[in-house]
Amino acid sequence: MKYTVPVIMCLLLLPSLSKGQDWVVPEERKGRLSTFPFTEETRKEGERLYNINCLSCHGTPGKNNSIALVPPPGDPATEKIQRNSDGEIFHKVTVGRGQMPSFRSVMSAEEIWKTVSYIRSFNRDYVQRVMQIITSSAYPGAQISLSMAYLEAERQVIVRAMATDEEKSVPVTNAGVRLFASRYFGALAVDEEKLTDKNGVAAFVIPAGLPGDTAGNVSISARFTDEEVFGSVTRDTVIQAGLKNRAGSLVAQRAMWNSVRKAPLWVILSYGIGVLAVWGFILLVMLKLRDIYTVGSALRGNLRPASDQEPTNKQEAI
Amino acid sequence: MDETRFNTPGEQRKIDSIAADILKNVRINRSFILWMGFLSTVLVLCLAAYVIQLREGLGVTGMRDFTSWGMYIANFVFFVATSLVGMLISSVLGLIGYQWVKPISRIAEIIAIAFAAVAGLVIISDMGRPDRLPYVFMYGRVQSPILWDVTVVTTYFVLSLLLWFFPMVPDLAISKSRLEGRPAFLVKAYDILSFRWEHHEVQYRIMKQAIRILLILIIPTAFAIHTVTSWLFAVTPRTGWDSTIFGPYFISGAFVSGTAALIIAIYFFRVNYKLQKYLTDDTFDKIARVLVLVSIVYFYFNLNEFLVPGYKLKTGDAIHLRELFTGHYAPLFWTIQLGGLIIPVILLLFKKMRRPLPMLIISLFVLCGAWLKRYIIVVPPQAHPNLPIQNVPVEWVIYKPTLIEIAVTVASIILVLIIITILSKLFPVIPIWEMAEEENEKDKPFDKQ
Repeated sequence: MKYTVPVIMCLLLLPSLSKGQDWVVPEERKGRLSTFPFTEETRKEGERLYNINCLSCHGTPGKNNSIALVPPPGDPATEKIQRNSDGEIFHKVTVGRGQMPSFRSVMSAEEIWKTVSYIRSFNRDYVQRVMQIITSSAYPGAQISLSMAYLEAERQVIVRAMATDEEKSVPVTNAGVRLFASRYFGALAVDEEKLTDKNGVAAFVIPAGLPGDTAGNVSISARFTDEEVFGSVTRDTVIQAGLKNRAGSLVAQRAMWNSVRKAPLWVILSYGIGVLAVWGFILLVMLKLRDIYTVGSALRGNLRPASDQEPTNKQEAI
Repeated sequence: MDETRFNTPGEQRKIDSIAADILKNVRINRSFILWMGFLSTVLVLCLAAYVIQLREGLGVTGMRDFTSWGMYIANFVFFVATSLVGMLISSVLGLIGYQWVKPISRIAEIIAIAFAAVAGLVIISDMGRPDRLPYVFMYGRVQSPILWDVTVVTTYFVLSLLLWFFPMVPDLAISKSRLEGRPAFLVKAYDILSFRWEHHEVQYRIMKQAIRILLILIIPTAFAIHTVTSWLFAVTPRTGWDSTIFGPYFISGAFVSGTAALIIAIYFFRVNYKLQKYLTDDTFDKIARVLVLVSIVYFYFNLNEFLVPGYKLKTGDAIHLRELFTGHYAPLFWTIQLGGLIIPVILLLFKKMRRPLPMLIISLFVLCGAWLKRYIIVVPPQAHPNLPIQNVPVEWVIYKPTLIEIAVTVASIILVLIIITILSKLFPVIPIWEMAEEENEKDKPFDKQ
């Protein structure tokens, strides 16, 4: 029993030791490439995404001001991170490890690639290789697209996947599709994963209690589960399927946490009356010094010791 | 009947003798210059450390993300606590009618002024951007205990200043003609500040009215100042601070540290200013009893503060209390509780210990214990974050004050000593007129016989 604590400590330390090793990305993921070329526009969007999702730990790229964690998160502008292939960065952001969370459900594949675009903008020697055709291994040469429709009566979202090439358009069958609703942080999976039927259609049921914005709008997004096979196509849309958010602003009413103008009245009154009362008395006491001075002046004006008359009058004056 | 006091030859003689005893210390002599020179030198050295902090930021301190309140805030709480003795002596004991507090009440006020004034500065030393201090007044939220704290500390300081000054006006009038050989500016200052005092009954009545208002006013203010300081901690849900008795716990602790500081001060003035006639053995015996009383009250609150959470042992409390009782802070904790509270109380129960020198030694222990107790209250509860966090640098987990922090804290203590020195060297430390009045009272029955 004596050694329980040290033994537990050692056991707890084991995984952190193993994590100290290099972060190995599976071979087949290393060579993965972005489906679009990195441009000034993708860099800008990537910067926005980076500032939201990455900055708090990794710091401003090039400034070497990442947060002091063990192991250190590292500055993306450094050689250590830049020597990763595009696919490696993409994989690490997607999967996460240790204290670095997985961004799989926070950002779409496209968004992660835009973030990579921003990270790469700090590397002068970087030359991008773009995946030539937007394609999938299942439908070679075809462009896969998703379309969405909302059936209000059934509270169902119908997602349709089609593969189109120069000649024809065929339904994408037996493909796993997932639907997400965007929330404050990340995306919330709606319903289960569905497989497309022979028409390329998957139907998702929107739960009745799903909160929306003040108008009941919900941003939803559909994507393939296996992006390796079917490509990283996503389809975003806004549907009016959520509960109308009736919660008022937390800073609309007077509250303890509000600004001073919206402080609770009882606080303003207690504080104000207390301060005024005490400082009023302080002023009163200060004025008594003047009274003492006036009496002294009057006494000095007369022969000392003072006559009985003078102080009595003075006393009344006070 | 004449309405001017102290005008018979007999009374004048008394005044002469008391004033001579007390005013012999009001002078700028060699030892004063040497002592101030020493204090100023140390202060300049310590302020150099503050300049480094100002230039480099709070990173030069040991404070990090977990422990973001360190030695500065512990020191601040100690200063506010110690300043409360002004109210305890002058108001609580004075209003009850104890006569023995008369010779020590002005010393108590000097301690209150010095500690309250520097407490505000200590807070500024804890700010990374002190240039933003005006923002407290420009954008301060009336809901924030921090704003309440700024308000009550300022108010208490002004009230203490007035309570020091008002009863001194007659003394200034008595003294201004007895300051031969002192610098002209001092004589001039005495003349202006005595506000044409003529010892007339009307003036005495006005003064006593003013003092009475102040004595009553300072009681709620003093309670507010330290209760609000405790609320800076108690309004958070953090283990170790989340306590409903923090207000009275702090106040009772304040009386302990303030009384100890007062005993040290009056011992110093008794010996160095040769005031054995006024600061008698009996005065020490009485104030020792006060120290025992407030210590027992404080012990009672300690019992509540530790026993009740210790019985329930909620997860957070269990970690916190284990750290204090048997963990990292145990040696410090038990030293404080035994050496600064329990043993002093037991010792002071014996009459032999209620004499000046033993009391000085006991009070030094109590005062050091009181300072360290604030450290124990402020620092350990922050070492455990509310959310489980792993793999953080070790200096986040274990707070250790840096040399810079220690130097800046020493600077604040030096400042307190400088204020006490100036006030006690340029003005009479014992109320001359009250002593004369007391002797008159003693003589009266004999007059009648």
